[in-house]
Amino acid sequence: MNSVLVRFYAAFRDMVGGKEAHFEVPDGASVGDVLEAIVGRYPEMREHLINPDGSLSKRANLFVDGRAMRFLPEGLSTPLEPEHELDCFQAVAGGAL
Amino acid sequence: MRLASFGQSIAHVNLNAGSFEVRPSPPDWIKAYIGARGLGVRYVLEAGPEVEPLGPDNILCFMNGPLTGSEASMSGRWACTTKSPLTGTVTDSHQGGWSGARLRWAGFDGLVFEDRAETPVYAFIEDGQVELRDACECWGLGIHDTVQFFRDRYGAKNLSVNAIGPAGEKLNRFAAWLNEDDRAFGRGGTGAVGGAKNLKAIVIRASLKKSEVKDAGRWKQVRRDALATIRDEVNITSPRKGGLSVYGTNVLMNVTNAIGALGVRNSQKTSFGERAERISGEFVKEEILVDDPTCHACPVACKKEVEITEGPWKGLRMESVEYEPAWSLGSNCDNDDIGSIAKLIDQCNDLGMDPIELGNVLSMYMEATENGWAPGKGLAWGDTLAMVQLTDDIGQRRGEGDLLAEGTALAAEKLGHPEIAMAVKGQAVPAYDPRGLKGMGLGYATSNRGACHLRAYVAAAELGVVPGEAEPIDPLAWEGKGELVKVFQDLLAFADSLDFCKFSAFAEEPNHYADQYAAAMGIEFGPDDVLVAGERIYNLERRYNNLAGFREGSDTLPSRFTDEPSTEPGSRGHVSELSQMLDEYYAARGWKSGVVPDSKLQELGVI
Repeated sequence: MNSVLVRFYAAFRDMVGGKEAHFEVPDGASVGDVLEAIVGRYPEMREHLINPDGSLSKRANLFVDGRAMRFLPEGLSTPLEPEHELDCFQAVAGGAL
Repeated sequence: MRLASFGQSIAHVNLNAGSFEVRPSPPDWIKAYIGARGLGVRYVLEAGPEVEPLGPDNILCFMNGPLTGSEASMSGRWACTTKSPLTGTVTDSHQGGWSGARLRWAGFDGLVFEDRAETPVYAFIEDGQVELRDACECWGLGIHDTVQFFRDRYGAKNLSVNAIGPAGEKLNRFAAWLNEDDRAFGRGGTGAVGGAKNLKAIVIRASLKKSEVKDAGRWKQVRRDALATIRDEVNITSPRKGGLSVYGTNVLMNVTNAIGALGVRNSQKTSFGERAERISGEFVKEEILVDDPTCHACPVACKKEVEITEGPWKGLRMESVEYEPAWSLGSNCDNDDIGSIAKLIDQCNDLGMDPIELGNVLSMYMEATENGWAPGKGLAWGDTLAMVQLTDDIGQRRGEGDLLAEGTALAAEKLGHPEIAMAVKGQAVPAYDPRGLKGMGLGYATSNRGACHLRAYVAAAELGVVPGEAEPIDPLAWEGKGELVKVFQDLLAFADSLDFCKFSAFAEEPNHYADQYAAAMGIEFGPDDVLVAGERIYNLERRYNNLAGFREGSDTLPSRFTDEPSTEPGSRGHVSELSQMLDEYYAARGWKSGVVPDSKLQELGVI
């Protein structure tokens, strides 16, 4: 098992009750598996993080070692390495901008 | 007040003669350039691109947009335009609060100050009249004492005071105008132009007046539509729920830090690591936030008033810790003490200076000191007490501060090391490192007023959330950024001309802008017209700069961003591919190496 550090920001902190949390995932788990672990522990976050089709909501940003998950070649299927750290933000922009 | 007759009441104030005359703007100017930024730039062009910025021939325009002071949401802004003493370009800067609205309610659409007064004066404006009065008694006062001086004289009710501080009086090249809410015409040195003209303050007394518009029924509906989208919980503008409303602009600090786009130590690094948390919007909200003041007609309330509860600045209450100065005076100077940042912002406001430029000139001087290039005792990284002292010296042009009052670029050049100035066209960069947000770098390079985040706020798209069905934008890709930056520049040139707060564009789209403008003015105007008008305004500014000597090769970035790869997570190994992006951008603009051809100007109706 791997223990993955996820840092939360802005209103997400209120939902998880802190700035960060560790999630235990099996060896070989993907970024998507961590996302599922997050909403499994904090069901309130599901509507903010995950679309019905399982993709990442536009209302959230997930960064893997500073790189937006959306732009990783394998997206949510990106395999997690033991040293990976994740940052989870609310959307910070929208509208015409 | 009649929005539909916008542009009919421009007060031309001759400071030397002590007289004023109300004249309408030429109708073709209003039609082409809308108001505020666009119209103000047109007046500045008329005064001539060759004028000396601090000479009597330069003009200082304070211009409302056609929707300033109306019931439209986020319409509390107005523009200051002039030739910048910092950059030598045309510049425009925008201020929130209530001042622009009060100018409208006092019967004016704009003020054009010409020539120079022999002795210090202030302009008193009320009921369609402008009077120049002696300002010797308040010359030398800081902004806060100047506001109090006029409140003592005229009462605080329905009064707006815009003033320059000691920095403007002493011709600091990045001096600003600020009002009673500490809202600023911050960038470009407009305060120094006021100082050169011996114009200390603009005092406006007026109470709220309801808008008269051409199409009242439609006006009501389109305003409601716009307000509904601002309130929508999916948008960061959503009152008390969205990130901008809850945390203010500083909600960005942890984001840019995480992706390697937060400048540290004069942009030598691109992440502040765990220290960013201590200067972030989340930290401010948790530890020192005391109030959320707002501007005219704004439900968002992004301002964050704070009170410092410990340390040397205990007891200081100020507004507001914004993202830009939290960066410029924080990580950029290797400083993670939020109390000192609040102190420095408040001090900068009182002296009347641009805190983005201040933070950059301090960090440049810290790097110069580290390398043994400072002529005096210099300044150590993160030495907050020394930063406070030197800030006062810069505002007052004392000692080493006299050199630094020239601005980041000119001061570094005088030190013999222009390469350590993080500036474009003489104006220092804002809080987005171009190695981690490639489009922002292109926006800095092609901004018509020198480095600026607000001409093309591409960060919104590059930070991962885009409207509708549009594809997400990769912040580390350079391809496609040319067209993207152009669209942002054109859209925001229009928003600046209405004059709407740019944060409205976090929720509203071009159709909202077009509908409100059309209903108020009683004209046909669609979303496509928004972008055409914005493009026309952007080309007008570029023409001014070309005539002022900014020719081929003027759109640059400091070599640190193009030649020194980031070493931090998120952007590690990246530089700004400026040259490739400029090729795309110029193709999209129809420009030749930064120069706008006459054929493009004719196509847009500029000439």
